Amino acid sequence: MAITYDQVKSVSAELYESCLKKIPEDTKEALRKATEAESNEGARKILNMMLRSAHAAESGNRHICSDAGVPVYFMKIGTAARLDGNIKQAVSDGFDHLVATIQPPILKHVTNPLTNERGYKGKDMPIVSYDLIDGADYVEIVCQPKALGSGRWAALEIFSFPTLETIEKYVMDCVLKAGSQHCPPVVIGVGIGGTFDLCAKIAKQATVRPFGRKNPEPILADMEERLLKAVNKTGFGPMGTGGDTTALAVHIEYTSGHGFTPVAVCFNCWINRRAGARIYNDGRIERFE
Amino acid sequence: MTETRQLTLPIDEPTIRSLNAGDFVELTGEIVLTAGLPTHQRILQYMKDGKPLPIDITGGTLFHLGSYSQDTASGFEVLYINPTTSTRFNAVMPPIVRHYRLRMVGGKGGLDRACVDTLKEVGCVYLSFLGGGSPLLSDAIKEVKAVAWEDFVSHYRLVKLRVEKLGPLVVGIDAKGNSTFETLTEQAKQRMPDILHDLETERANSPSSR
Ligand code: SF4
Repeated sequence: MAITYDQVKSVSAELYESCLKKIPEDTKEALRKATEAESNEGARKILNMMLRSAHAAESGNRHICSDAGVPVYFMKIGTAARLDGNIKQAVSDGFDHLVATIQPPILKHVTNPLTNERGYKGKDMPIVSYDLIDGADYVEIVCQPKALGSGRWAALEIFSFPTLETIEKYVMDCVLKAGSQHCPPVVIGVGIGGTFDLCAKIAKQATVRPFGRKNPEPILADMEERLLKAVNKTGFGPMGTGGDTTALAVHIEYTSGHGFTPVAVCFNCWINRRAGARIYNDGRIERFE
Repeated sequence: MTETRQLTLPIDEPTIRSLNAGDFVELTGEIVLTAGLPTHQRILQYMKDGKPLPIDITGGTLFHLGSYSQDTASGFEVLYINPTTSTRFNAVMPPIVRHYRLRMVGGKGGLDRACVDTLKEVGCVYLSFLGGGSPLLSDAIKEVKAVAWEDFVSHYRLVKLRVEKLGPLVVGIDAKGNSTFETLTEQAKQRMPDILHDLETERANSPSSR
């Protein structure tokens, strides 16, 4: 058997729809915990509203947010995966199929940056990045629609042999600049090292990491923990009502590079859109969040 | 402070001026909304040309809310609404708020100082809507009163709705010159030296650095 065009197409559409209507379980749990820990009464009220909104969207098959974002997919292809058909086209067709069939319909957010015209389609949409996994007999697809609020505040700067202090200070600068514009509590993804393009990519991928998993590198595991505490001391709170809950997690990834060290910071808003699936050679499809 | 105040539209200036940044409110009555910058630009053009808007907003509201509207046999239907980032409208809000003597604007993320000053001068508040609150906010829609400028994509149209208990919404900017966005940014800035100092201490004591 092989991984077919039809499977990739339908999985691409399903993952997107799931991102729009369902908040990952670990995220709901984190919001619940935050509600208990939050000392600001207004903030608790907003967190409760978030949980009610999440429940209403999931149980009523509705969009949690009207900004459906633009389609972003990370695809990893196992070197032992057998592919049948045009897999690249399948992702694109999957998104087109979603646009044509999803209920309620989604708004047009794909924007031509030269004219600001908006539609469902555009040059190089969907945005798909590809990687290989040695030996795997499956294709893994992770979908993360990016909306204005969650996409707008990402930033990258290139330093020369920065200390950990410089890196952390830069993350905090980005946090201050974003304020509460990105619908906090957010997930913060940080990339350190590599090159301009790779650093941005690992920062983005850090935002789709499930909660509760630390970076295996002890220096970063510690940094994740102290930055999360630091961000929550800023006091912006959920949706900027003030409070202790500005971020739910800080996830950091690094890669080696030259002494010019890019640091990239990006955010995922509280609805934390992410959904993934593995499609195996034998036809099995495994979903994950 | 977190009692939710019920407000009915249209609303008078003294009531608006009695609201404080941080208050929770729910709205009942008619509201006007759009999420489009081109829409605001067209409003400015109408003001310049002295033309009446297809949906009058004088003394009323203009919220930065996107909506999905579709034409059906029985008229326009609005399937859902949700806020959009207001800061990108900073430059166009003061003339619009002044010209139409708006009482309420809103969306998410707040507006800049020039807007805060205009709101104070005119007697207008900014309400923060929950991003990702679409199911809750959309449940408040009771009737679609009008949809104008259909040549725009759905969320850029000018839409008038009758809502019941829309909210809870937070007064992000009151008509007294207070903005929770400004206050919180100021507070975060003031806290930053301490936060950075704590980070330094924790770095020095972290297991990985020993
Ligand atoms: S940033 Fe806010 S408005 Fe934008 S998709 Fe996320 S929750 Fe919705």
